[in-house]
Amino acid sequence: MDNSFADKLRKKSFLLPEAYGNEVVKKVFQRKDMLFALLALFFFVGLALFAPLISPYDPNAINLKNKNLNPSEEHLLGTDYLGRDLLSRILIGAQTSLSIATGVVLISLFLGTAAGCVAGYYGGIVDESISRLIDIFLSFPGVIFALTILGALGSGVFNLMLALSIVHWAKYARLMRGQVLSIKKKEFILSAITSGAGDFYIIRKHIVPNAIATLLVLATIDFGHVILSIATLSFLGIGLPADVPEWGAMLSSGKEFMRTAPFQTIFPGLAITLIVVIFSILGDGMRDILDPNHEGGEIY
Amino acid sequence: MKYFLKKAGFMAFTVFAVCALTFFLMNVIPGGTAELILKHTLIGLEESATEEQLIQFSSRYNLDDPLYLQFFSWVKEAVLRGDMGTSYVYKKPVIYLLALRLPATVQLAGASMALAIVVGVSLGIYSALQENRISDHILRIITLFGVSMPGFWVALILILIFSLKLKLVPVSGYGNLENMLLPAAALSLHSIASIMRVTRTSMLETLGQEYIRFAKAKGLPVWKIISRHALKNAMLPVITVIGFQTGSLLGGAVVIEKIFAWPGIGGLLVDSISARDLPVVQGCVLAIVTMYLLVHFLVDMLYTHLDPRIRYG
Amino acid sequence: MSLLEVKDLSVEFPSGENTVKAVSHVSFEIREGETFGIIGESGSGKSVIGLSLLRLLPANAKVSGRVFFQGQDLLSLKPSELRKIRGKKISLMPQNPAGALNPVLKNGLQIEEVFEGNRDEKKEGMKKALELMKQLFLRDPEKLCTLYPHQLSGGMRQRLTACISLSFEPEILVADEPTKGLDPEAKAGAVDVFTKIKTEYKKTMLLITHDLDLAFEVCDRIAVMYAGEIVELDQASKVLSTPLHPYTKGLIQAHPRNGLVPLSGQSPSRIKLPEGCLFHERCRYSDVECSIKHPEIKYYNGGLIRCHFLSLK
Repeated sequence: MDNSFADKLRKKSFLLPEAYGNEVVKKVFQRKDMLFALLALFFFVGLALFAPLISPYDPNAINLKNKNLNPSEEHLLGTDYLGRDLLSRILIGAQTSLSIATGVVLISLFLGTAAGCVAGYYGGIVDESISRLIDIFLSFPGVIFALTILGALGSGVFNLMLALSIVHWAKYARLMRGQVLSIKKKEFILSAITSGAGDFYIIRKHIVPNAIATLLVLATIDFGHVILSIATLSFLGIGLPADVPEWGAMLSSGKEFMRTAPFQTIFPGLAITLIVVIFSILGDGMRDILDPNHEGGEIY
Repeated sequence: MKYFLKKAGFMAFTVFAVCALTFFLMNVIPGGTAELILKHTLIGLEESATEEQLIQFSSRYNLDDPLYLQFFSWVKEAVLRGDMGTSYVYKKPVIYLLALRLPATVQLAGASMALAIVVGVSLGIYSALQENRISDHILRIITLFGVSMPGFWVALILILIFSLKLKLVPVSGYGNLENMLLPAAALSLHSIASIMRVTRTSMLETLGQEYIRFAKAKGLPVWKIISRHALKNAMLPVITVIGFQTGSLLGGAVVIEKIFAWPGIGGLLVDSISARDLPVVQGCVLAIVTMYLLVHFLVDMLYTHLDPRIRYG
Repeated sequence: MSLLEVKDLSVEFPSGENTVKAVSHVSFEIREGETFGIIGESGSGKSVIGLSLLRLLPANAKVSGRVFFQGQDLLSLKPSELRKIRGKKISLMPQNPAGALNPVLKNGLQIEEVFEGNRDEKKEGMKKALELMKQLFLRDPEKLCTLYPHQLSGGMRQRLTACISLSFEPEILVADEPTKGLDPEAKAGAVDVFTKIKTEYKKTMLLITHDLDLAFEVCDRIAVMYAGEIVELDQASKVLSTPLHPYTKGLIQAHPRNGLVPLSGQSPSRIKLPEGCLFHERCRYSDVECSIKHPEIKYYNGGLIRCHFLSLK
């Protein structure tokens, strides 16, 4: 085959994500719900980043005189059972949740993409064994799996990240494998092979750029799920050590005082709901834009 | 037939693999296994075990054997005699504990699933038929929040409103229908929202198909078009999602059972993990995975039954 | 006498902020017993006309004008009365048989549901339908009824949908691109089917097609559509052998039998129609007048034509 032709094709496929980019930005600005969610996300991330600067009190300062207060001018959202300011703790909690979730999504995205790539690209026995492994990991209700792993590893930020990544990578791997299988059939791969490109080059330059859009949709939707899982595990007292300010753990300790100080239960839950709603809107919107003919239903 | 045998074979293999995974995972704790378990479950955290106690405990539970031997003897006992070991904490056979706790979980998950399917599917259809009208928009916003709210938070808010403020139902308990109301509602909310969303999308897609137009052209009444032509096709993706929702229901049940002190295996699992009661953890995981895979198997069969393209494909 | 009369029919679809003019001010009549053809390239709005007669367009379509059938205006009929006409008096033969048959229902049911009433009436109807299927070159119709659509070949599905449309003995059959997407052999079969419907059953037909061979074989009169308008309407033999409108000429020259001379250029945008004659940009004969003044449709030599010059020069 003519080499310049292959080159042209390669360039074309390499440019694809960029061409996507402009189109996507335009479409996002056309959708008011996504624009709104994006602004809200920036707001949340800003709050999390600058939490130490803007929070009115030290989130860990115990003041037993002021315990279980309802919202007032001094403590906008009230205080918890140790007299710590709830607003400050929720702000710091955003930092905890967002950073752990980012870590989990990045790790599973990387692991899943690598495994899916290898399985889809090489096929045969490699594909068969990775696919079985994916099936096994997906046949386990996620929260219970993470719970068991954490039970073995013990609680802690790193262990929590590790446990959730072990649970979540399989979703990405399955999606990536499917993408690779369909991209492999395209003509530009054939032309790359005939022009003598190596496996790694083809995966890096052709396959990953073409599959990345779909994977990003999953990652956005998954971000919300990960935040829910973190909260659930800490609520059960298994995810994070008790002194780390985290929304699920705050709910867990707050629920003991639900009769007299219900705000300790209400506000952290609201924070979780809001952030997950934002990611749901973003994920759905991205899916509509990048993947217009997806099958009805959630990806996992 | 061959298809189902293959499926069943895969199920058995998965259950085995999951058990192995759990077993080895739970045993890779840093430090001597026996010592740690003993410390956690038998003596309490403040005292350390004596040498004598350690040896006695290890030999009673065969903890000195290599891991794979322990695992294979566990599998052998479990398969041959249904004996899954003895709980360190409760000093009772694991199978007995499971038998005691399983019915409650099945009741709760079953009731929640039934609720989720009935409410989710009917609201989803309604939402699709009302596309872009006010009620559709309201339902879609509710769905968005339904999939985003953490189940345990919903449970706490429900308790706050219905038990503490309105005093309509008890906070916790087991046995009566009124005890079931709040847990089932809290547990099913996420599934209701998911099923509703998929039903709506799938129904809209189906209603745009050419066979629906042809059915109209035949002069069929609207209810017949929906019930005969649209529903069966629209249900196919919904059934798949119902299968996956079983997983999130079982996962959610762990937390919900803990909140409402519901005597199911979810609560048992959490307690056993905290107490490092390995045989019980192993048993609970086995039970949950088996339930999940069984539901998936049923869903698969149902799907094949409904879609002739697969059946004769 | 005329059985169906279409007067000043216009159809618009909103698309974002714009509206797409799919059909503008179309009038024609179909006489009893004749086969009336509408031809034109894809996107000319011919299928939209067929669907709008039975009000089968999507809900966002804006339809204006009148369609008289037996003294009733179909476009302002109540849904319950419209239902008595759909499939019974006017039936549609859909464009894409593969999509028009519901994949999860057996063929038998999809024929049977055309007949309403009690069991005996249905049985009677089915008997006739089976007879009809035999005559339309379908072998072993009883067995066919127990199969699902995906188990039939493309040609068989086409004949099956023809059967469904004819089985209630409608007064008018609207065939919407019946040969679209069929392989040459099935196409030839379709010509046989339509010849049979025409000669043996003496059905009144509205045949919408871009297949000139089929139109030549079965149509009595033909309307040629371009960009949502009728540009020429006359006896089929006259239109196809001595076309007057430059567009019709081009269409016929583009046919493989006549040397496959393609029409240059593209149809105009339907959001913002050009001034003057819609065809002037592609017309070999166009003059200054054509780009300024939109031609009205005029009687000429027994037919109707929409052209300033009548392409005589």
